[in-house]
Amino acid sequence: MNSRSISARLTIMNLLVSGAALLLASAGFFAYDQVTFRQALERTLSAQAQIIGSNGVSALLFNDPQAAASTLSALRTSTNIASAGILTADKRVFANYTRVPGDETVTIPAMPEGQDEAFWFRRAHLVLMRPISSEGRVIGYVYIRAELREIDVRLQRYGLIAVAVLLLSLLFALFVSRTFQKSLAGPIIRLAEMTRRVSREKDYSLRMPASTDNNEVAVLIDSFNAMLEEVQERDRSLQKAHDELEQRVEERTRDLVSANRELEAFSYSVSHDLRGPIDALNGFSYVLLQQYGAALGSAGKEIVDHIRASARRMRDLIDVLLNLSRVTTSSIHIENVDLSAMVRSIADDLSRAEPRRQVEFKIAQVEPVQGDARLLRIALDNLLRNSWKYTSKHATARIEFGANHDMGRTIFYVKDDGAGFDAAAAGQLFQPFQRLHKSTEFQGDGIGLATVRRILGRHGGEIWARGAREEGATFFFVLPQQGREPGAR
Amino acid sequence: MDQVRSRQSLRRLTSAVFLRCLAVVLCPALFTLFAALAASGQSPRPTDLQVKAAYLYNFGKFVRWPEGSFAEPVFTVCVLGGDPFEGALDQVTNGQTINGVPVKVARIASSGGINGCRVLFIKGTEGNLVRSALVAARKTSVLTVSDAPEFLRQGGMIQFVLVQDHVRFEVNLNAVREGGLQLSAELLKVATKVVALNSSGVPQ
Repeated sequence: MNSRSISARLTIMNLLVSGAALLLASAGFFAYDQVTFRQALERTLSAQAQIIGSNGVSALLFNDPQAAASTLSALRTSTNIASAGILTADKRVFANYTRVPGDETVTIPAMPEGQDEAFWFRRAHLVLMRPISSEGRVIGYVYIRAELREIDVRLQRYGLIAVAVLLLSLLFALFVSRTFQKSLAGPIIRLAEMTRRVSREKDYSLRMPASTDNNEVAVLIDSFNAMLEEVQERDRSLQKAHDELEQRVEERTRDLVSANRELEAFSYSVSHDLRGPIDALNGFSYVLLQQYGAALGSAGKEIVDHIRASARRMRDLIDVLLNLSRVTTSSIHIENVDLSAMVRSIADDLSRAEPRRQVEFKIAQVEPVQGDARLLRIALDNLLRNSWKYTSKHATARIEFGANHDMGRTIFYVKDDGAGFDAAAAGQLFQPFQRLHKSTEFQGDGIGLATVRRILGRHGGEIWARGAREEGATFFFVLPQQGREPGAR
Repeated sequence: MDQVRSRQSLRRLTSAVFLRCLAVVLCPALFTLFAALAASGQSPRPTDLQVKAAYLYNFGKFVRWPEGSFAEPVFTVCVLGGDPFEGALDQVTNGQTINGVPVKVARIASSGGINGCRVLFIKGTEGNLVRSALVAARKTSVLTVSDAPEFLRQGGMIQFVLVQDHVRFEVNLNAVREGGLQLSAELLKVATKVVALNSSGVPQ
């Protein structure tokens, strides 16, 4: 509203107060002077009229207007008297006097009965009238007309003095307020500047210089400093806690990363090292069957076949584990990938491998995405094989691939009308080695969907599933928008 | 204002008279007389005798007599040798006081009766009377006033004179002093002439 600073307000307040006080005082003095001046004038005129009156008694009694006129001419010494006169008892002019000849303009009003004296204030004149008595009888009247010019002169003089005093005292008030400003408003202004600076620079180490005064402003300054101290202290402890947390997180992360790496290296080496004995088992059992098959007999052959099947199976498991490990550790090479083409190629492979199955593929053309083609192919392969597998119990099946757009995201899906899954267990689908179906129902290693989730995770995407038992399953996944750096993990 | 009122009433009167004149066909002389009266509009000027009577009374206000001169609390104005004022003096002094003392007019036949008089007027036409009265007055404190032409020279105190048809007066201060009286400066101010003549009429 009003943006004037405290110091300006203080100055204005000072000037207003002193100005108003002076004006009131001047007005009061002037009014008093007017009243006393008029009273004094009345008294003077009354005295003069009395003197003229008593000196004019004989002139009136002995009908001597010349004597009356010479009495009146004594008024010449009073410069403010414009005219005067002596009237007879029947109000005829007996003798008169005018300061300036021919200035006799006064009309004599009726004298109130039984009054000693009467005044008439005219515009610029005061007319005073007194009866002249002798032996208790009114024998005539005296009137004096005085000019009030002096009142105007006094008014002007008063005005000039008042203006001069006003100016001087306003100057003085200005000086005083400037002086007080330094001691009163100065600290407040400095405090305001300091708060502005603190909030602008966020530098809580700033301090107001302590005031030597013992007033509210000093208290304000001390409290401000104490507040800053408190803020700084909290800042410090907050920073400390933050730093400690950061450090701890860093340590944990480092621990985790190394543990993970060790685990992966371990599982890789275990898988790798396991392949040798399995290959040997497989090879030697083959040699056993070829060279000593006749000696084993049909029962022995069947046992060796079992051994070989188990070995193969173990080898497959190890391969899958190695793949999962590779998926986790291999570096990502980002390029444009046409998912629809990939899906078509995988669908062809599946149909060619089992031409007897009647599966209808419905593959929509989606926009190319950014990602690692090799890993994305593994992920799609796993998803489609999953659908292929869980629709195998149905005579005819339908597998869809497509994309929806929701809130600016592209959500891809793979949908089948197969065995589905228990909706309550949807969260376990993507855990490694977690299977919702018995391996007698559907064969599987329980690692495929876990691999898919890892791959999408490494791209910075995510996957989720929706389905119900015997009502098919739908897997949704999203990949980060184009141009965005995918997360490392 | 009184003049205005009188003028209005006169005008009303004249118009009434005029109507009557028309009705009765009065002589125009009467009409002219009224018209002249209406034009003048002033109350008639007092006669010299009336003025003198008033002055005679007013003198008393400006004179101081020696302490204890008069035992009676009455201010007596005496007229010696016949009253020329035709009742004007009685009119002027009727019910009046001077310094709180009631005024009385006494007419005396001879100078032997001036005891108790404060102001004594001597008719100027009685030359012998004037002389004897002045002699008698020397023995008492009385303000002697006359309109006799040589009154001051004869040792009188105040003498009426006519100046431009107006009644004025002259004062012989020496006679006043010899009589033990004191005249106010106010009175001397309005006197036409103030002289100081000794009893033989020679200026001092």
